[in-house]
Amino acid sequence: MKINVQPKEGLLVNAFLVMFFIHSVQTGVGIVGLPRIVYIAAKHDAWISVFLGGLFSAFVLAMIVLMLKKYESADLYGIQVDVFGKWLGNALNVFYMMYMTISFFVILMNYIEIIQVWIFPEMPTWQISLALILLTIYAVNGGIRIIVGVAFMSVLGTLWMVFILVVPMQYADPKNLLPLLNTDLKHIINGVYKTSLSLMGFELLMFLYPYVKDKKKIFMYTQIANLYTTVFFTAVTMVCITFFAENGLARTIWPVLSMFKIVRLPNLERFEFIAVSFWMLVILPNMCAYLWAASKGFNRIINWKQKKGIWIIGILVWGGSFFIKARYQMNELSDFVAHLGFLSAFCYPVLLSMLVLVKKWFLRRKKSSAEAS
Amino acid sequence: MQKLPKCNLILWTICLMTMILCAGCIQQKPLEKLGLITTSGYDLAGKNKIKGTAVVQKFDPMTRAATKVITSYAKTTKGLRQQENLQSNQKLVSGQLRSVTYSRELAKKGIIQLVDTLNRDAAIGNMVYLTIADQTASEIMQIENRNKGNLNLGTYMYNLIKQNVEGEQVISPTLHEFNHNYYDIGRDPVLPILKVKGKDVIISGVGLFQEDRLVDELKQGDLFYLKILVDKYKAGTKEMGFKTEQLKKLILKNENYTRKPIFSKIYVTVDNIRSKTKIKLVNKKNLHFRVDVKLDSRVLEMTQALDLGKPASVKFLQKKFDQQMKKKVEELLLRFKELGIDPVGLGNEYEAHLRGKTITKEEWDRVYKDVTFDVHVKNTIERTGVID
Repeated sequence: MKINVQPKEGLLVNAFLVMFFIHSVQTGVGIVGLPRIVYIAAKHDAWISVFLGGLFSAFVLAMIVLMLKKYESADLYGIQVDVFGKWLGNALNVFYMMYMTISFFVILMNYIEIIQVWIFPEMPTWQISLALILLTIYAVNGGIRIIVGVAFMSVLGTLWMVFILVVPMQYADPKNLLPLLNTDLKHIINGVYKTSLSLMGFELLMFLYPYVKDKKKIFMYTQIANLYTTVFFTAVTMVCITFFAENGLARTIWPVLSMFKIVRLPNLERFEFIAVSFWMLVILPNMCAYLWAASKGFNRIINWKQKKGIWIIGILVWGGSFFIKARYQMNELSDFVAHLGFLSAFCYPVLLSMLVLVKKWFLRRKKSSAEAS
Repeated sequence: MQKLPKCNLILWTICLMTMILCAGCIQQKPLEKLGLITTSGYDLAGKNKIKGTAVVQKFDPMTRAATKVITSYAKTTKGLRQQENLQSNQKLVSGQLRSVTYSRELAKKGIIQLVDTLNRDAAIGNMVYLTIADQTASEIMQIENRNKGNLNLGTYMYNLIKQNVEGEQVISPTLHEFNHNYYDIGRDPVLPILKVKGKDVIISGVGLFQEDRLVDELKQGDLFYLKILVDKYKAGTKEMGFKTEQLKKLILKNENYTRKPIFSKIYVTVDNIRSKTKIKLVNKKNLHFRVDVKLDSRVLEMTQALDLGKPASVKFLQKKFDQQMKKKVEELLLRFKELGIDPVGLGNEYEAHLRGKTITKEEWDRVYKDVTFDVHVKNTIERTGVID
């Protein structure tokens, strides 16, 4: 396997668009439940946890960019083989593919659950998942440029939802945030950890990188994207903490949607219907990106056509959707993916980039000493 | 590359077909076949049983009377729905529920389980009004029948409360606010009490809750002071009574008013009140709160001619207002303390200053007994209408 990927000129995307890509893969199904999950861990200082989580992901992103810049145009599949050798590297590649497939699955199932609870209780899971998976496959078939385009559309198309936050703010009780920093460090760190499921997604940069045209600018754009996500998540968490009573937030499964319930438009009593429907636009780039990156593995590891991989993963995920029936199963699965995501999206890239840095430094020293002698 | 369009065409077709499949398979809800529950009331009916009365709005082009009152008995509210459905030719849905009324008896026993189901149901909005019936809830729902179905009680009650909330006469009793106050440790909810008067339903006062149990009731006059404490006024109105001796200094002698006043006391009404209240915990150890109330208003009516031309006399009147309001606010706070209820949210303020530990409901109830207050009221009469 070649370490570097040399895509055709026509397949490249602008570095500017990476900003939209990163933000939209970070913002997904997690944010709907994030305030509650972090609140349970870090109480009314949850927003600090979310903010720290954002800073942490900024650090990881910086490390990833640093690592990627050591290569000319490589993706994670190539780097792992380069660092760990053919066998171990490919084993890790397969593992990462599995991780991305499961992430795809969890995003899909979480969204289906939301649809079933909020709008169509009678709709069977297999129908919604079939429709969504086919839509994703269709988008991914179009290639990376289409996926980045979907991400761009998704960010622009849902930007207005940020302003809806103003409505619940009118019912907010800012006293709920006081006293600041009353939670001890252990719980705040725990909250940071719980944020991981929602901030996940930026690790896909490791697969997108070869397709970026202007690779020098990538650091700035990824940081801007992550900063925006962080500020947005922190704001949502803050509004949720002030909007709900202390024991109320811990009981609400999807606080952001429950918050939207108070929005009333003159000819539309229930705004959350729109919010839930629009949420598909938010999660679509997530699903596309995960499916694309995972199916890319088939192409990179065993040199199949990527299209085959897309269908294999699509059918696998669709088959998997038959096994999830109840809320508690969903909970267990989400928790599992949160753990997995923390390891593979936060810890592993940092470790890997350190290894890469050490390796490159070592090689350079060897080379220079060879030249010297 | 050449094959791509064909493949995409097939994908498109499958995509579209599943979409159509999805849209066709879910349960449809045509409006003509639905009965929209717009308001419902719950009473306790003997042991382990509740009585539910619902006002249903129908969309039937054939009939004119478009509402119907349905009564049934069951153990849970969703059980009631089943029973009610048996009495209706249209499927009952609760997406348009505007207000819910609980009987006084139920409210005294606690309503949180009944409110919980409203929270749990995704079909029910967060802005549903919760109210308490002075006697039974079914009595209020039956008003619809007394008006021969012409009143449209659901909308009527919704507008009754909404109009008064906007007119700053009632504290907003939405489901969201009830939840917020109930689940907050240092705070208790308040809900309006509705009463039947002739063929109408009116707001008679405000029920004070201890957690989810109704423990006391405030009359309209005292409600003003509660609202000052929990909320702020943007354009409120208040009528205040003074003994004649108190304002003797201000009474105009040679005015064309009747020599003998009609009332034995002097009443002054101020309106356009803008109030701002700050509640601060000044002493954390002794739990001493300082309540600062600031009101800007104008005098609009008085039952005896008062001289308001001179700055000194306006100041005098302001001072009288201050004294009376201060007394009332203090009385109210002490009454809350005695009842062990906290609609003002003093516990919230206490909690916001509590560093290093969290407080439980029991702890707050215990320390609440030792709370002391220091009330400061400052009135400013900005105007006296178009005449002095």
